[in-house]
Amino acid sequence: MRFAIILLVVLAVVCSLGSLITQGQTYSWYANRYSERTAALIIALHLDDAFHSWWFILISAFLCINLIFCNIIRLPSLLKRPIGYWGSWICHVGVLLLILGYGLGQMTYKEYTVYGVSGDMMAVSDASLAVSIDDFRITYNEDGSVQQYTSDITVYDLTRSDGRARSASVSVNNPASINGLKFYQNSTGWAARVKIQKNGEDLQESVVCAGDILPVSDKQDLVILFNAYYPDVTGYLYSVYYQGSILGMNILLPGEVLTIDEYTVTFSEPQTYTLIQIKRDSFTPLAFAGGLLVLAGLFTAFYLKPKGNKNAPD
Amino acid sequence: MLQIENTLFTIVMILYFVSMIFYFLYVALKKETVSRIAFVIQLCGFVLHTAAIVVRGIGAGRLPLTNQYEFATSFAWGLSLLSLVFIYRYKFYVMGLFGSPVIFLVIGYAAMQSREVRELMPALRSGWLGFHVSTAIIAYGAFGVCFVLGIIFLLREKMKNHGFLDQHIPDSGKLDLIAYRSASLGILFLTFTIITGAIWAERAWGSYWSWDPKETWSLVTWIIYATYLHLRVRRNWHGKSAAIFAVIGFVCVLFTYIGVNTFLPGIHSYA
Repeated sequence: MRFAIILLVVLAVVCSLGSLITQGQTYSWYANRYSERTAALIIALHLDDAFHSWWFILISAFLCINLIFCNIIRLPSLLKRPIGYWGSWICHVGVLLLILGYGLGQMTYKEYTVYGVSGDMMAVSDASLAVSIDDFRITYNEDGSVQQYTSDITVYDLTRSDGRARSASVSVNNPASINGLKFYQNSTGWAARVKIQKNGEDLQESVVCAGDILPVSDKQDLVILFNAYYPDVTGYLYSVYYQGSILGMNILLPGEVLTIDEYTVTFSEPQTYTLIQIKRDSFTPLAFAGGLLVLAGLFTAFYLKPKGNKNAPD
Repeated sequence: MLQIENTLFTIVMILYFVSMIFYFLYVALKKETVSRIAFVIQLCGFVLHTAAIVVRGIGAGRLPLTNQYEFATSFAWGLSLLSLVFIYRYKFYVMGLFGSPVIFLVIGYAAMQSREVRELMPALRSGWLGFHVSTAIIAYGAFGVCFVLGIIFLLREKMKNHGFLDQHIPDSGKLDLIAYRSASLGILFLTFTIITGAIWAERAWGSYWSWDPKETWSLVTWIIYATYLHLRVRRNWHGKSAAIFAVIGFVCVLFTYIGVNTFLPGIHSYA
């Protein structure tokens, strides 16, 4: 028990440290925020990714071993007793399943993202499927704030020769389950139609999402990056790169075109794209079962245990 | 609707303040009847407080549990409810002396927040909202009671000279047991809060646990109270050490609720 208490206190301390130090930043970010010395310490102790560090996993492993032993040791004395005495034991089994379910899930989960505008079709080769975005809608409240984002998608199973397709509608808080994967409406952003002409002749045309690059088809080291779209001024922010170095960055307002030597670039048809997150975590049910056992165990221990023995160790 | 709510809210604040004064008078004047008056005033405050929350819910056309103001007023409501239940159940009116200032501070914090009724963002449009937040209110209320009992436990040595207080505070064993009851109710409901939150997060954000500061701090709070429960089982750790953990636990509750929003931005930024 003493070891368990020490582990719990250590866990509480490292969790609070992990939340007080901004996670996932670089050495220079920490050096800027704190000092070079602190930054070096944070990186050396893996406090920049505390919840996935070897020592956090080690503490969790010790907690699991402790829970396994405590459950085994207590089982024989419980076997002949009524259910009212089982609360604490059930709760501890629940915590163990919860940690195992979360840990195994972290080790094995698969996550993909696809994004595009209505009519786009994207292949997710790792998951052997293709996703087509049939429609994407944003509904608004009376005050102009967003009410809901909804994507109608069709998922094609590429492992089957008939490419079986299943359609679903996904919105925030309403994910869809298809072929053992869950599809989430994750986010949205601006996209625009980008057209490149060479000496006045059409060269290429495509819909580009903000943040994406478009290499010029007959001069691949010349790249257009569509940074952002500003609906209030209907302006497109772009930057141009040549052989990896930036040539320039500017905003194109309606009617303006970008000219680079013999190439002319125009932006038009601003539209919203949808970003769909695809996830598989086979151990979520295990973690969920663990959570329910913790609840059931706590309730039994606090309210079903025969009176007069509330304080007795069990 | 907003006008009615504002009026009710002001009356509630005044009633809680007056009940606090009466709890002080009860100890100062050493008169039993004054404690009953304080209790009844707090009860009236609680009834009107319930009405204020219901009126806001009707006005907004949804559960009024979605922003810092709505949760602060509900937090004070939960504290008031749980302290009334524990005072009545254990006939322990001195608890009001220490509990009423906490309620008054929390409702005072609510009064400083914006009361504007806004439309909900898509992530908050979920049936899980009601379960997640209402269980948190009960948990926080129970932890508040546990905190007050911990404080009384730690101060009782100093209150030995005050004959009246000494007579009206249960002995250490009883005090410890009442604190245990409130902590166990709190941890049961906090577990509900975390599980319903995880189910909801899995649907809304695609991941049931993301180490968001609010999630992490609710886990820290859970661990603190779990430690408290383990300490109590060890014979020589009864009482004082457990009481210290009861106080630390509530500091974590307050940090989870107010501190995280102020200092640690995350995906829970609206709450």
